[in-house]
Amino acid sequence: MILNDLLGSDVRDSDGGRLGEVSDARFALDGTPGQLLSDARLVGIVVSPRTAASFLGYERLGITQPWPVAQLLRWWHRGSFLVLWEDIARMDPDAVYLRPGYAAYEVGLQR
Amino acid sequence: MKRLLGVALGILTAIGGFVDIGDLVTNAVVGSRFGVSLVWVVAVGVVGICLFANMSGRVAAVSGRATFEVIRERLGPRAGLANLAASFLINLMTVTAEIGGIALALQLASGVSYMLWIPMAMLAVWLVIWRVKFSIMENVTGLLGLSLVVFAVALFLLKPDWGALAGQAFAPSVPGSEGPAVYWYYAIALFGAAMTPYEVFFFSSGAVEEGWRVKDLIQSRLNVLLGFPLGGFLSVAIAACSAVVLLPAGISVTTLSQVALPVAQAGGQLALAVLILGVVAATFGAALETTLSSGYTLAQFFGWSWGKFRRPARAARFHMAMIVCLLAGVTVLSTGVDPILVTEYSVVFSAIALPLTYLPILIVANDPQYMGEHVNGRVVNILGLLYLVIILTASLAAIPLMVVTGAGA
Amino acid sequence: MRKQPPPLRKPPEVAGRLLDAQLHLLDRQLLDVDGVPVTTIDDLELSGPEHDEPIPEGAEAPRITALLTGPVLGTRIFGGRPPSNRLIRIPWSDVAEVGTVLRLGVKGESLDALWVERWLRDRVIGRIPGGSHDPE
Repeated sequence: MILNDLLGSDVRDSDGGRLGEVSDARFALDGTPGQLLSDARLVGIVVSPRTAASFLGYERLGITQPWPVAQLLRWWHRGSFLVLWEDIARMDPDAVYLRPGYAAYEVGLQR
Repeated sequence: MKRLLGVALGILTAIGGFVDIGDLVTNAVVGSRFGVSLVWVVAVGVVGICLFANMSGRVAAVSGRATFEVIRERLGPRAGLANLAASFLINLMTVTAEIGGIALALQLASGVSYMLWIPMAMLAVWLVIWRVKFSIMENVTGLLGLSLVVFAVALFLLKPDWGALAGQAFAPSVPGSEGPAVYWYYAIALFGAAMTPYEVFFFSSGAVEEGWRVKDLIQSRLNVLLGFPLGGFLSVAIAACSAVVLLPAGISVTTLSQVALPVAQAGGQLALAVLILGVVAATFGAALETTLSSGYTLAQFFGWSWGKFRRPARAARFHMAMIVCLLAGVTVLSTGVDPILVTEYSVVFSAIALPLTYLPILIVANDPQYMGEHVNGRVVNILGLLYLVIILTASLAAIPLMVVTGAGA
Repeated sequence: MRKQPPPLRKPPEVAGRLLDAQLHLLDRQLLDVDGVPVTTIDDLELSGPEHDEPIPEGAEAPRITALLTGPVLGTRIFGGRPPSNRLIRIPWSDVAEVGTVLRLGVKGESLDALWVERWLRDRVIGRIPGGSHDPE
């Protein structure tokens, strides 16, 4: 499939309740080592309760400047969370369904 | 010694390269209608372009990424395309205005109608873009553009009442003959002329063309911080000349010969000749910069190979795009539209589109992924934010003011 | 009414580098092995899953199979879906480095992504005198 089909889809839990939209897809470079880079494996999807536009990633990158632009954008994306691939039950063209009892994780990228 | 020469050359070309047809026309128009009561806007605009050019130059030198690559990457394809469309159209308007400016200056020199000069001006611009090295192109047009100092000389020869001029400049008020809406409309036009977005596309792409690294940043900062304010000083001299000669005579500028009138009156034929040389160099330089900027923005949005440091065959789409832009500009001019009018609109539209380029640069200049330790300092961010507010205000106020004033009529 | 997720947990540790598609891959410049721009990355192709089919528990996670460019950009802007034979693919196995730009480990010359560039070079720009010389 094409990533753009996924971005912006609704995210629903197993009862069909709407949680938000897919704002990004997270990959890890830990798949089968290739000649140059390892395979990029889908770790999970970032769900934003408000908007699909992953605007500049302020909610994930811990950047606080320039004030107050950074703060505004972070606030706009408050409530974003990560859902792992293992908890995804179906990916339809217009919605992603999660498994019952899925777990939600913090979206921050810095460790 | 060689290094010092390099610094001096950089500053001189920054001065000569600062003024283009937009600054020439807008300052002369404003001077002839409002005296020097809008000089403060030039100061605000010059500080703004220093800040903005410095930031985009730093991003380019540290990350190797020019402005429109950053815009696409940060704003995504949708907002990026909207931004490209707006920037590109304004750029095309400016290309048109600059080529018209070259032709008008040649008409002033030769008496031959500017319509006949247009194809030759276009061909000359294209040949330089096609064959001449970036640094030579920049230095020659910048140095010849310094001839515009003749405006400052003319101002002295005109022996104005300096006290009255200073009083007007430092305690500005709307002249009785004009309404406040028109005053603010021209304030935005002047601001747009000083801070045209193409200068930033050009500056950051030029940094990549010349292969700037972090160590070159000091020199680039010197060029900007000394060159642009001195260029701004030329702008003020243009406005002051009009204010001294044209305002009392009740002439409001609508042609290039009226822009030149105060210089001719003060310094005669010789001064006029120097002026024409300066105008040709300044508009020619700006025509090169805007044409290249059209190519830069398109190529950087779509990820094409670009740059004058490559031979044309190694950046085929980039060169093709510029050829098409030049032809489009000449087509517009061949309809007989007044280049001065195109200029007056282009500076206002520049002001309207400014936030689109400014915000992504401000954001990326704070992103350690791109900038490492060279992210914006506190002072730059405070200034940057202040200017974000000014730029947004000017942008939002421009269209209502344009409607209310009938574009400053 | 929007439902709330369960309380957020700390994400599990992952061995390799993490890349968020929008943040680190999409809309970045792609350079070939010699540093020549190839394209901007317009979209990504994944190895799965199929639409409208339940994903079995324990299914292997999809991988990025290719970077996409070309008409797919239009669909990202205006919506819709390009026919898959119109996609221009650059296989992930050719990607050598991911930074503020992506670098390929191969030369761009042979890539489908550059056909317009080659066509214009061979038919137009390369034929104008001086087009194949360095500027002076």
